Amino acid sequence: MHNIIRLSSVLVLVAMLSAALLTGLHNLTEPVIREREEREYIEALEKFFPDLDNFESETVDGESFDLVYDQEGELLGIMATVSTQGYDGTIRYNLAVDDEGIIKGIIVTSHSETPGIGDVITTSDFQEQFIGKGYDDQIQDGEDVDAVSGATESTAAMIGSIRRTVVNIGEHFLGKEVASSDIPSVEDGVYHGSAEGTRGTLTVEVEISEGRLERIEVIEQNETDAYFVESYPLIPEKIVEEQSLNVDTQTGATLSAERIIFAVENALKSTPVEEGSGGDGTVE
Amino acid sequence: MSDKSVYVQDLTRGIVRENPVFKLLLGLCPVLGVTAFFINGVGMGIAATAVLVASNVVISSLKKFIPPQVRIPCFIVVIATFVTVIDMVLEAFQPALHEALGIFVPLIVVNCVILGRAEAFAGKQPVIRSLIDGIGVGIGFTLALGILAFVREVAGHGTLMGPDPESAVYLFGPGFEPMGLFAQPPGAFIALGLLLGIFNVIFKKLNIK
Repeated sequence: MHNIIRLSSVLVLVAMLSAALLTGLHNLTEPVIREREEREYIEALEKFFPDLDNFESETVDGESFDLVYDQEGELLGIMATVSTQGYDGTIRYNLAVDDEGIIKGIIVTSHSETPGIGDVITTSDFQEQFIGKGYDDQIQDGEDVDAVSGATESTAAMIGSIRRTVVNIGEHFLGKEVASSDIPSVEDGVYHGSAEGTRGTLTVEVEISEGRLERIEVIEQNETDAYFVESYPLIPEKIVEEQSLNVDTQTGATLSAERIIFAVENALKSTPVEEGSGGDGTVE
Repeated sequence: MSDKSVYVQDLTRGIVRENPVFKLLLGLCPVLGVTAFFINGVGMGIAATAVLVASNVVISSLKKFIPPQVRIPCFIVVIATFVTVIDMVLEAFQPALHEALGIFVPLIVVNCVILGRAEAFAGKQPVIRSLIDGIGVGIGFTLALGILAFVREVAGHGTLMGPDPESAVYLFGPGFEPMGLFAQPPGAFIALGLLLGIFNVIFKKLNIK
């Protein structure tokens, strides 16, 4: 009994000494760390907005946006702090846009993409292609920006995330019209469209009825990726539910989503394989 | 044996004869994890050395006070305290290194080199000898990380003093395509294996057992 008390009091004493030391040191280092983080962020802001006077933060959908103002209180632009799912873990970056929503620059603050392959997302060669693009641009792989071959997953994730962020900024802060539906208005009918998957072609069948997206089915795919197989039925459901191609794809299966969305977009550009009956809407 | 030669032996034992990495193969997690760049490898070595020296000294001076039944939890608390100290100091004053070492700084707690020295040496020996032992093993660990990181950085990145582009020296000019394998985790194993082989041959030649 005596022994137990002695043993526990030694342990308690050691732990208390340790806690006291660490608390003291934490109080010393914490302000230094916080100050440095703030300084680095403000330096980044000043790089894009040299006339920066003050900024205020707003949070939309869990992502934070800093609205940067000059001395006269004019909006200079917006810096978004965004995270997205890369090939290997989360990519965090800052996206700076001017007061028109045009991209001024990108800073990748943390990522764990493969060294020498996926880390091209940090290079200026990759980042510069976004500069000058904005709300009205497509920001679509193969259209006005390019993924890097060999690092498709990392770069496609960035492209998709940047596009969503630009659209978000436009709609929330710059008074761009919030599209109630960004589904192009096409004739009723059944459309087929495809996109390149990782292993061959991915084809979807899209049915439009009375101007609404009625049904999306993946009719051909050769993906073996476990994420894809697990998640691809969810994406079409979401698109139909939200009547929007700009669905939230942060499910760990960003790529599958992008491929399906791209295939749907292609389908809506094509000529219908079947004309809509216009009646009961069941076209098979 | 005079006092002096005991101290010299305490110091050199950890560097060559019982080098934690090349002879004992201890603490390999940070050895493989952070040695893609020389600066990071040496930074890790110095951080681990600081923890090792501090914990050796404290554990040695507390050895009469700590009952043997609870020595391991006490050792771990002491080690964890110093690791946290290093972690906070690095984050405050060496942010780039802290970022590069990442999870491997907190993981110094479970580095078996440090608990091993506490259990095998500092828990039994006087404070001065424990201090010298800590320095010796620390130098041995830092040297091993430095050598491995040097090899991996030159082969895997073709640079010295990276990853910061301002300090990085490109050894082979801009057109050089480095062996990316060595920058990645599998390359760490391969480089370590090659170095172990080389050092075994050297130790054998020099008759160091």
